[in-house]
Amino acid sequence: MAQAVTAPLTQNVLRDGLILPRTPDPAAMVIFGASGDLTARKLMPALYNLALNRYLPSGFSVIGVADTALSEDEFRAHMEQAVQKFSRTQPVDRAVWKSLAEGISFVRMPFDDVDGYGRLATELERLDRERGTSGNRIFYLATAPQFFSVIIDRLGSSGIAKAGEGWKRVVVEKPFGHDLKSAQALNQAIHTVFTEQQIYRIDHYLGKETVQNVLVFRFANGIFEPIWNRRYVDHVQITVAEDIGIERRGKYYETAGALRDIFQNHLLQLLSIAAMEAPPNFDADSVRDEKVKVLKSIHPIDVANDVVRGQYGPGWVGGQQVPGYRQELNVAPISNVETFVSVRLKIDNWRWADTPFYLRTGKRLPSRASEIAIQFKNPPHLPFAKTAVQELTPNVLVMRIQPHEGASLKIGAKIPGPVMRLRTVNMDFFYGSSFLVESPDAYERLVLDCMLGDATLFAREDEVERAWALSDTIEAGWGAQAPPPFPNYEAGTWGPPEADALIERDGRRWRRP
Amino acid sequence: MNQNHTALTARTFVDVHAIQEELDQVRWGLHADGEGSEAAQHAAAEARASVLNLITVVSNEPELGKVSQVLDRLSVTNPSRTLILLAQHTREADKLEASVSAQDRTESGHRVTTERVILHAHGEPARHLASLATPLLIPDLPVILWWPGRPQFDNPLFDDLCELSDRLVVDTDEGFDDTDLTRLLEVARRKKARAGIGDLNWARLMAWRHVAAQFFDMPGMLARLAHIHGVSIFHGHDGSTAQARLLGGWVRSRMATVGIDVPLEFRPDESFEHGICRFLIYTGGDEGPARFSLGRLRGNRLSSQIRLGDQDLADRTVRLESRATEDLLGIELTLPGHDLQFEQALAAALG
Repeated sequence: MAQAVTAPLTQNVLRDGLILPRTPDPAAMVIFGASGDLTARKLMPALYNLALNRYLPSGFSVIGVADTALSEDEFRAHMEQAVQKFSRTQPVDRAVWKSLAEGISFVRMPFDDVDGYGRLATELERLDRERGTSGNRIFYLATAPQFFSVIIDRLGSSGIAKAGEGWKRVVVEKPFGHDLKSAQALNQAIHTVFTEQQIYRIDHYLGKETVQNVLVFRFANGIFEPIWNRRYVDHVQITVAEDIGIERRGKYYETAGALRDIFQNHLLQLLSIAAMEAPPNFDADSVRDEKVKVLKSIHPIDVANDVVRGQYGPGWVGGQQVPGYRQELNVAPISNVETFVSVRLKIDNWRWADTPFYLRTGKRLPSRASEIAIQFKNPPHLPFAKTAVQELTPNVLVMRIQPHEGASLKIGAKIPGPVMRLRTVNMDFFYGSSFLVESPDAYERLVLDCMLGDATLFAREDEVERAWALSDTIEAGWGAQAPPPFPNYEAGTWGPPEADALIERDGRRWRRP
Repeated sequence: MNQNHTALTARTFVDVHAIQEELDQVRWGLHADGEGSEAAQHAAAEARASVLNLITVVSNEPELGKVSQVLDRLSVTNPSRTLILLAQHTREADKLEASVSAQDRTESGHRVTTERVILHAHGEPARHLASLATPLLIPDLPVILWWPGRPQFDNPLFDDLCELSDRLVVDTDEGFDDTDLTRLLEVARRKKARAGIGDLNWARLMAWRHVAAQFFDMPGMLARLAHIHGVSIFHGHDGSTAQARLLGGWVRSRMATVGIDVPLEFRPDESFEHGICRFLIYTGGDEGPARFSLGRLRGNRLSSQIRLGDQDLADRTVRLESRATEDLLGIELTLPGHDLQFEQALAAALG
């Protein structure tokens, strides 16, 4: 019984009311570096969990690319083992895995091998034909950064990345450059093949539920925005503290330091999210426009006075004796790489003029904590004259990213009794106490967003470059100074004394997270 | 997952003020005699997360036991105040008893506290339990009424509780007939004592609806949906058809929003006892005939296939969760107010 349709459907009416994300178009994901750690630990478990939860479309396919001696079956078996080991959901559903694995293939080739790209093109055409991927491709660069440029170049010269039928997107992993110049060069290299709309620079920090919740906290609750400005806020402290050392990453860390490893990305992301204006909507450019405006509004940094760097020496953390940075594996015994940075920033706009933002990050600090703390100004008048109350403790609103995600508000309350005495009370909200559900891994969210063409949680070119420019300013300032006498803080303490002096000069103190 | 479960207190009261006071004690850990160190008072001022009030009605002790077990498990994900009403108005002697308890759990380092009040009434007080429930609710939080089994639509207690609730949750898989479904729809549509309706059976259909909708997210498939000309649903042979009818009602109601009438066909399948087995959508039009099919596989899986003319496209297998009552209830508790898609699907199923 055919129906007479008055107008073509413009939307999928069966989707109305389903609290589920849109389904991505069938696509082929080409993972460069498919035999590496990132693919095994993060990407393949993320893809499996997306398949398990029905987020992947029929026909979704994966081509692993690596210069490793593996047959297709061996690659699939390797991926299955990875999913069994690292998937957040256990046990692994074999039928779902089998269904996903039917779309997994492997191309062995060095990343600069022109012939290899010919074989890759043939495989992609097969998938288009047999699995309906329709020319939709994601090129995921899960390799060491030195291979990014050559892969992009070959994708361009082989014609695989050319528009034609379907969409083409490229995912680039952090670190995106190691300074402004290298980031610009990499952007330029990628832009010879892909437009900015096709580029997804991944920083898994932004895929965390907890970071996204900061945006919800600010923009879905009307009570905070009216007081979220210089009139009511005394200052803001943003902390990304780690109690661990550099683990086995000495080689990398010697070229990065805390400035590149955390400040340039995680700390500046948190700063942008805490300080940005409300975007008109939650689409990629609206959100990223507001974040970039914050970075552009940062007052030129006076490195000599507003930045402190540190390096940990031996000490005790959590009851364990730990070595100093210079004694770590693959670290030079006279290394001057910083493991701690604190910075005082000012944002030159109407909302935040003259409101300092204190940022700090460090390794081997006493505890692990990532948080944004908004300290409010004291009431203008103390109404408790002739009582025992001599001063008030300022209200502090803390948004905790990890651990124990949530928010707390520090308020003053009267101690029961005939005498007027106040004490500070924390009103704590633990996110986990209200939503005891397992959050998806950041990679699940980000990979799905990329398939859907939503770049909101990915870094844009200007955002990355602006962040590098700030980092370079600090690096250049340090280059003009003699390095401090490293190590200058003991493991298990909150950084060098100069970091305390930085904030105490303004009559303020660091919070103990 | 580390889990610690402590019943803080369980005492019996008959007076609403006494119940309220005891609830305050268990909620904040206060001492009734007012004594306590400054540290204890500080601890008492700690905020508690609560997300809703949940009222449930049972008619006998065995049912109370079953419901309590579901609520125990539910409390892990929904810190709430729960009122269980054991209403036995057919018993002659008047009786009203209440017991108050709190469960304190630690899950993965997070502390969750749920307070529970069991109100047990015989005779006349059983008809007026809503008046006792009202002052015991946490202000400003949604009130959800979960009525296990078939609701007593003619019992005044049902109307009273609907009136103070934002949402009524039932399970139409528990033997609902057409009259029950019609009465249920009336609750959502009436002017007085109107509550949004949630159905655990509808929550069970989520995977079927999701995968069916995904067919038409695929490039080029939306145009085919405009030429839908039939739906076949195969269901178990145990005579229970509410789930199949809801699924059919869903397609029919969605397509009605764009002016398309969809004929529905229901068929029992001898190989399955209960629930939906297969769900087929047929389309035609200029693009040619197509069949979109979903099939339940053994082991809680769903297979989906598309056939365009005589060509099969890539199929896939996904998880079809077999959810426990507390999980289905948990889904319904996160939905605010009226679920228009459900109400329209129910109307279409009855229509």
